[in-house]
Amino acid sequence: MKLKSLLSALLAVVAVSGAAAKDIELLNVSYDPTRELYVEYNAAFAKYWKAKTGDTVTVKQSHGGSGKQARSVIDGLRADVVTLALSGDIDPLHQVARLIPADWQARLPNNSAPYTSTIVFLVRKGNPKQIKDWDDLAKPGVSVITPNPKTSGGARWNYLAAWEFAKRKYGSDDQAKDFVAKVYRNVPVLDSGARGSTTTFVQRGIGDVFISWENEAYLAIKEFGADKFELVTPALSILAEPPVSVVDKVAKKKGTAEVAKAYLEYLYSEEAQDIIGKNFYRPTDPKAAAKYAGQFSKLELFTIADAFGGWAKAQKVHFDDGGTFDQIYLKK
Amino acid sequence: MRTLPFAVRSALVTTLTAVGLTASLQAQPASADDINALREQIRLLDQKLRVLERNQELKEETAAAAAKAQPKITVGDGRVELASADGANSLRLRGLVQGDARFFFDKANAAQDQFLLRRARLIFEGKFADRFNYVVQPEFAGSSVSILDANVGFTVTPSLSLLVGRFKTPVGLEQLQSDPVAFFNERSVATNLAPNRDVGAQINGLLADKRLGYQVALTNGVIDGGNSPADSTNLEGDFTVSGRLFATPFVNDKDSALKGLGFGIAAAAGNYDGTASSPLLNAYRTDGQQTFFRYKSNSTPTLANTAVAAGASYVVSPQAYFYSGPAGVLAEYFATSSEVSIGSGATRNARTLKNSAYNLSAGYVLTGEDAGFRGVTPKTNFNPSAGTWGAFEVVARLAYLDIDNDAFLVPAGGAISLADPGASATAVTTYGLGLNWYLSRSVRVGVNLFQNDFKLAPGAAPAAGTVLSDDETALITRFQVSF
Repeated sequence: MKLKSLLSALLAVVAVSGAAAKDIELLNVSYDPTRELYVEYNAAFAKYWKAKTGDTVTVKQSHGGSGKQARSVIDGLRADVVTLALSGDIDPLHQVARLIPADWQARLPNNSAPYTSTIVFLVRKGNPKQIKDWDDLAKPGVSVITPNPKTSGGARWNYLAAWEFAKRKYGSDDQAKDFVAKVYRNVPVLDSGARGSTTTFVQRGIGDVFISWENEAYLAIKEFGADKFELVTPALSILAEPPVSVVDKVAKKKGTAEVAKAYLEYLYSEEAQDIIGKNFYRPTDPKAAAKYAGQFSKLELFTIADAFGGWAKAQKVHFDDGGTFDQIYLKK
Repeated sequence: MRTLPFAVRSALVTTLTAVGLTASLQAQPASADDINALREQIRLLDQKLRVLERNQELKEETAAAAAKAQPKITVGDGRVELASADGANSLRLRGLVQGDARFFFDKANAAQDQFLLRRARLIFEGKFADRFNYVVQPEFAGSSVSILDANVGFTVTPSLSLLVGRFKTPVGLEQLQSDPVAFFNERSVATNLAPNRDVGAQINGLLADKRLGYQVALTNGVIDGGNSPADSTNLEGDFTVSGRLFATPFVNDKDSALKGLGFGIAAAAGNYDGTASSPLLNAYRTDGQQTFFRYKSNSTPTLANTAVAAGASYVVSPQAYFYSGPAGVLAEYFATSSEVSIGSGATRNARTLKNSAYNLSAGYVLTGEDAGFRGVTPKTNFNPSAGTWGAFEVVARLAYLDIDNDAFLVPAGGAISLADPGASATAVTTYGLGLNWYLSRSVRVGVNLFQNDFKLAPGAAPAAGTVLSDDETALITRFQVSF
């Protein structure tokens, strides 16, 4: 048999095997408190994609401290998409591993953040330590639960919210540093991620106050009962904008680039924004935001860009080796 | 020092404090402030214990996560495997050693009784970047070291993989079955008509939820049962294409009685133009590995005295197996067509030979383990002190190979036949009986008795003492370690 006719036959076989409906598997590497959100969203997206293309999509989820998760992707975890706690954790995917382009954050609306959240306090029923605002966390005898900012994105939001509060109240970065140091002196357990801290506070019964993602706090109350916990909203907190990105290099290799892109774009759809609101994240779509506005407390929010000049700067000053957190915590 | 469980310690602290409280209450009446202070003390102690407990828990979680990130070394059943923490990269070292004792009870082959190192292989298998895999399999038995398999695979999707290198041509069912798990110590005479290892590229995959497998290979080409050398010549500048479709329609139906049924068809086609020094033709052997058919050749080969492949050749093979519980059956049929010639000019004898063969083998595991295409796993290993004996399997075979009578035809006009009727049979029927003893998953002792009945061309008179001078009766015993 001559080569040309043989190659034609081979191509025909490949074409036949490739033409059928496909089974596609995506890996979404995310941070700790998004488990429930993405369980619901993945089912909705799979249904949408099946109806649109006939292909069956299965999305596997991986959760952990945001910084730790980013490190895993850089080290070779084959994530098709990342949905992490902060852009400062996604940037290294370009800076260190060149897995995504430099302008990754400009590819989707709202700086690639399909939902926002903020940082609040979860206290035990009756609020026995009378926690009202950030000041109360630095008082002697108050046991504070928050994860490790070195590994958890949520913890970095917590840290910076406390810092900005103190800076505004006491007037300088030095005083803010002293204040944050006092807060961390009250931290008896440093989990690697937000979900671990929830376990520490809620299930292990440790601590008087848990500095928590807003959605995580609502979820704890919903799951474990309003008779056990109360949510306290501080007067000032930070606007957390958890971003998302396709991991281009991995998705291209796996042949999943198209569906990975669609997976993230669908987060901005009406259906997804509703799921986001239901899971206590703040939707970015005005219609869904209005629908769920009543379930969130009103407070003054500041952005990382306004207060700290963006994540790159905040990371360098506070969380890189030798930064303010190391100075505070290693002294403890 | 072993620590007390958390709940016990909590209870202990609470009890001790309560005892202290009771004692102090007995000594003097306690004020409400005292009681509140003691309560606060208990709360603080409880918190301290909880913190200690949680920090210990986190340390253990960190240690467990660190252990998971470490490369894994697995040793089992003689195999050694090194794998990265995520399983995407691995190297597995396997091996196969077969030592035979062979006895012939016929008049022709008595001199062939021998101990034989039949196979001695180290198999290196590995995976990298999750989608690429490789096999390197050298053979140390025989007069020189050779490479049997050396190939690299790339899995695009489960339905599409690419294999490049040296591998088994996808035609013969028994040929494709791993040697150490076949029913018998030697493959049947029918396998003489199946091309074996060759160099080339193959696409393969599983379709329809793993119910249909396909393989399509493009190789240099090897005729009738042979292995192409690693530096396989491709004299005619053409390639051989082979393909196989094999269905296992009930493989996913766990409760189906037909779960172990597989059937399919395979074929190969190519052009072969041999030369006197490289005729591209192979001899056929009995179950006792004695040559019962060979094309004419000469120690000083010329086209006048040596038969050579001379054109198109194809093989078609319908095939099937069925395994159900301890019983298994494997059946295959081969029909081949090969253009062969000897001589040149006016004395050239060129013919298209049509050979055929079948193999019907069956086995039954007496100790009740499941039989399967991938072999038998004994429920227990041989351990006399524990009173366990491994697994026992009886096997039987009927096989037949028919050579086209034209191979022995002597044309008029001075041309000579393609094969010598005195040195080659026109057909062989083989009967085999055997007992396999699986001492463990890796160790097997096989005792096989083969009877090979030759059919000779009319008037053929093999010389005394040659293979064909008597039907072959061979006892092939084997001790095998395969891991």
